[in-house]
Amino acid sequence: MEEDKIKSLLQKADQTAGRPGSVPTNLTSAIRRRARQRRFISLAAPLAAAAMVLIAFGVWRLMSTPAGDTNEQVRLAMLQAEVQQLRAQTDSTLKLVREVIKRQRRRSRLQELEAKLARIPDPLEEMQRQADKTAFVLVYQANRMYNELDQKDSAIETYNRVIDLFPKSKWADVARRRLAEIQNSSVNKNGLTI
Amino acid sequence: MAETNAKSLGNPAHNKIINDELLVKQFNNGDGSAFDKIVEKYSADIAALANRLLGWPGDVEDVVQDIFLAAFLGLKKFRCECSLKTWLFTITINQCRNYRYKQMLRLKIFSRAADKISSSPAHSADKQPMDNETFDRIRRAITVLPAKYREPLVLKYLQELSANEIVRILGISQNTLQVRLSRARKRLRKDLAGLIEG
Repeated sequence: MEEDKIKSLLQKADQTAGRPGSVPTNLTSAIRRRARQRRFISLAAPLAAAAMVLIAFGVWRLMSTPAGDTNEQVRLAMLQAEVQQLRAQTDSTLKLVREVIKRQRRRSRLQELEAKLARIPDPLEEMQRQADKTAFVLVYQANRMYNELDQKDSAIETYNRVIDLFPKSKWADVARRRLAEIQNSSVNKNGLTI
Repeated sequence: MAETNAKSLGNPAHNKIINDELLVKQFNNGDGSAFDKIVEKYSADIAALANRLLGWPGDVEDVVQDIFLAAFLGLKKFRCECSLKTWLFTITINQCRNYRYKQMLRLKIFSRAADKISSSPAHSADKQPMDNETFDRIRRAITVLPAKYREPLVLKYLQELSANEIVRILGISQNTLQVRLSRARKRLRKDLAGLIEG
């Protein structure tokens, strides 16, 4: 029922809209013309593309190969040999440069180490210096003991120690001189007292 | 056997199909006039269907030309598995879809359809302006339907084709056709509320 109503409504709406324009008399000739055009395009397009590719290839060949193939091959082989030679030369030069740089580095490192070594004092001299210093201190202390603290025995013992420990140093000579002076002064004192 | 042949010879639809097959055969054999006859025979139906599918623009000459061009180029591949009319209607449906799609790409589909519907000449001048407006509304409602609902609707109610023919043209099953028709009617009921119930 409802479907019938829809159908009648649609049909009325269709009828009131009017018919489409009549088909032109030259429709078939127009279709044939378009079909011919399409066929021509479908044939011509790939042909044109192929022709373009061929032309481009020909131009490329002309531009890239001016001489004969064999000459070109020989020239190419020569060029390759030259390139290889140049490469070998470059490699050897690079190797030499690397060697020189390595040597220079070694030399500079050696110089640095030598300089460092030169800055370090001689251990024997240092020991001598230290011994001299110790002898001086002992002599100085003995002098103080004898002159300021009136410790004659301790002073004599210290002078003797200096002579025993550092017999060749100048402070051993000083100690000997001091001992001799002490002995002289005690002899004089005894003489006076006597 | 002879009786069946006599019966089938008496059937006009069957004769029509045989005539179509003959025309196709003649065309494939290089007879150019066969295509003229095909165009003459079906151009009115094709134009009417295209006009309805495109929303009654009136001027469908270009689309009809495209449809027959496609037929001209593809007729050699036509193997007479269905009737020539069904085949031509299938081409029409596809061409109209393409045409509408192109229009949609130009973002003019709705405005153009509406303009053309409103500006298309009314067939009966003696109708009331209210009626014209109502029918405009109906046509617009059909035009804005999605293709999958509009096409079965037009083929069934306006072209008055059988369900079997519609199924063949659209390449869908009977069930799908019924579902689409039902949904199309539902949409129309919704869009044309008052007109259908009243």
